[in-house]
Amino acid sequence: MQREVFHMVNRAGMHARPAALLVKTAAQFQARVTLSLGAKKADARSLLMLMGLGAKEGMDLIVEADGPDEAAALAAIRRLFAKNFGE
Amino acid sequence: MRVDFRGVGVVPGMAVGTIRRVETSLTAAMAAYVSGAQENENEKILAAQAVVAARLTAQATACAAVGQGLQADILTTQQLMVQDPMLTEKIQNQTAVGLSAPQAILTATEEEAAIFDAMDDAYLRERAADIRCAGQAIARQVLGISEIDFSGDKAVILAGITIEPSLLASLPAGRLVGVLLGEGSRTSHAVILARARSLPTIVGVGEFLPQLRDGDEVLLDGEQGLVRLQPTSAEVAVVAADRRQQDFLREQDAALRDLPAVTPDGVRVSLLANIGTSAEVAPALEQGAEGIGLFRSEVLFLGRASLPTEEEQYIAYRAAVENCRGKRCVFRTLDIGGDKPLAYLDLPTESNPFLGWRAIRISLDRPDLFQPQLRAILRAGAYGPVAVLLPMIISADEVRAARQQLEKARTDLLAEGIACADTVPLGLMIETPAAALTAKVLAQQADFFSIGTNDLIQYTLAADRGNPKVSSLYSPFHPAVLQLILQTISAGREAGIPVGMCGEMAGDSAAAVLLLAMGISELSMTATLIPRVKAKLRQVTAKRAKNILDAVLAMHDAAVIEKYLPMVLQ
Repeated sequence: MQREVFHMVNRAGMHARPAALLVKTAAQFQARVTLSLGAKKADARSLLMLMGLGAKEGMDLIVEADGPDEAAALAAIRRLFAKNFGE
Repeated sequence: MRVDFRGVGVVPGMAVGTIRRVETSLTAAMAAYVSGAQENENEKILAAQAVVAARLTAQATACAAVGQGLQADILTTQQLMVQDPMLTEKIQNQTAVGLSAPQAILTATEEEAAIFDAMDDAYLRERAADIRCAGQAIARQVLGISEIDFSGDKAVILAGITIEPSLLASLPAGRLVGVLLGEGSRTSHAVILARARSLPTIVGVGEFLPQLRDGDEVLLDGEQGLVRLQPTSAEVAVVAADRRQQDFLREQDAALRDLPAVTPDGVRVSLLANIGTSAEVAPALEQGAEGIGLFRSEVLFLGRASLPTEEEQYIAYRAAVENCRGKRCVFRTLDIGGDKPLAYLDLPTESNPFLGWRAIRISLDRPDLFQPQLRAILRAGAYGPVAVLLPMIISADEVRAARQQLEKARTDLLAEGIACADTVPLGLMIETPAAALTAKVLAQQADFFSIGTNDLIQYTLAADRGNPKVSSLYSPFHPAVLQLILQTISAGREAGIPVGMCGEMAGDSAAAVLLLAMGISELSMTATLIPRVKAKLRQVTAKRAKNILDAVLAMHDAAVIEKYLPMVLQ
């Protein structure tokens, strides 16, 4: 299992668009990916759980990937956050 | 008998059409539904989710194919909700305790929607309606309720408590002219789709929805939130004329988008856009912008508690460059001063901030601010063509110092092994009388000029545009201003460098004609002004523009010139 912390830079936080990108990205890997904000945890396959985290600009999200391709999964998610989900 | 209803207008515009009600009550179908064993119900649910998801995906792809990105995104989000594993789990929890498939779907959906209803964040509360729509779509599929058939209806106004985005997306353009919703808000998916298609929309009509029947003719005013039953023929005629006008203008602008700004006798000007955020690039390109002539970097610095880091700036600049898809993006370096206080920058209190420590003066005194910005621009330049534009220049010394800083930034990045642009043109804002009067000398130091008329006019006429007592003195057509602009353009042309303009004057069609005659290469403006300026330049020959310029340069009064131009450019 690998874990990394990412900063939510989007002005609008985790709204539908970045959440959808996360779902699509996580779906490409076998590893189980979860995002946590404080006590709340979301499965990256679920758009509703991701949005339900209520992550806003400036918040830190802990991303965990667990599985054979966990490093690749984390790298892909790192790229998403790095380019601010294309916004 | 005049009957008017009022709701909340969320998409402006007027429309006249026939009501078609979207029935969301599933009670009759539910009563007739025959439930089976738990595994059967679960299978039906999964199959229904797949069918609805496939429909939404197909619609999203179709929208994306014709450049309707926003609509495609909405439909994709709906599809992800329909097949959400969390929702599916909740539905299966319900079939496990004996509920039929449609009951399980609606119960689980309501449970999930209620969670969002209770959230602090308004955006998330508004998603509840979208979740209910997704549940409805799956339930209807299981119940075998087919999509509404609209063939034969000429102008339809859809009315319902909620309307599935999928339904909105499926109706051909032109057939659907307005939307009435019982629930929903400005950011509901259905409303976003309606707005993207410029369909007048009113929400909050729940109370009087029962009084609107299939076949009723109504007039909608999306601005006022007004629904009028049985409009008179005079009212209908007014709406029809207004719509024709809107459609005509939209078509014209669309047709113009891919045409160049070139006079009938072949003289060309590039039309670019002024923006402050990367999100504005796409709409600017939609209007026909050939690139970004001015990216106002200070937008990134304002309204914050801390300095944007090099990384944050890089992310923002790179997004803009990528959105430009190969067209050039010109980044103006930090252009702020004492008039716009920044909490994190110790700007001194000045009695005259507009003549004070601002813009390039701050950058040159503070390499700790200048370097990160230049590095961020250079790094973004690895993804597409960029240029650097220096604000408030008054002397060649400043340009030399800035160029040294730019070189240092580039050398450092290369030494650190960080990808960055090879060559980045360095341009100067010509917005002070000093710069305009010594443009010949400055042209030797610069790769291009961009005339900043907003400040140039204020400094030249010594009048503050924002001061009501003297704002009437401000005019881009004052002979002194025209002379300085002419001098700048001539100096640039002699030195063989492009001269553009990014001040408001660039977006004035009449001014554009004069500037064309003076030899301007580029005009950068608010994107929505591009079509009008382009249309004007395509109508006037360069020869005629020159004659008009000669006449104007012989005039002594801004007022006279301002009267003359509209007359001669009829």
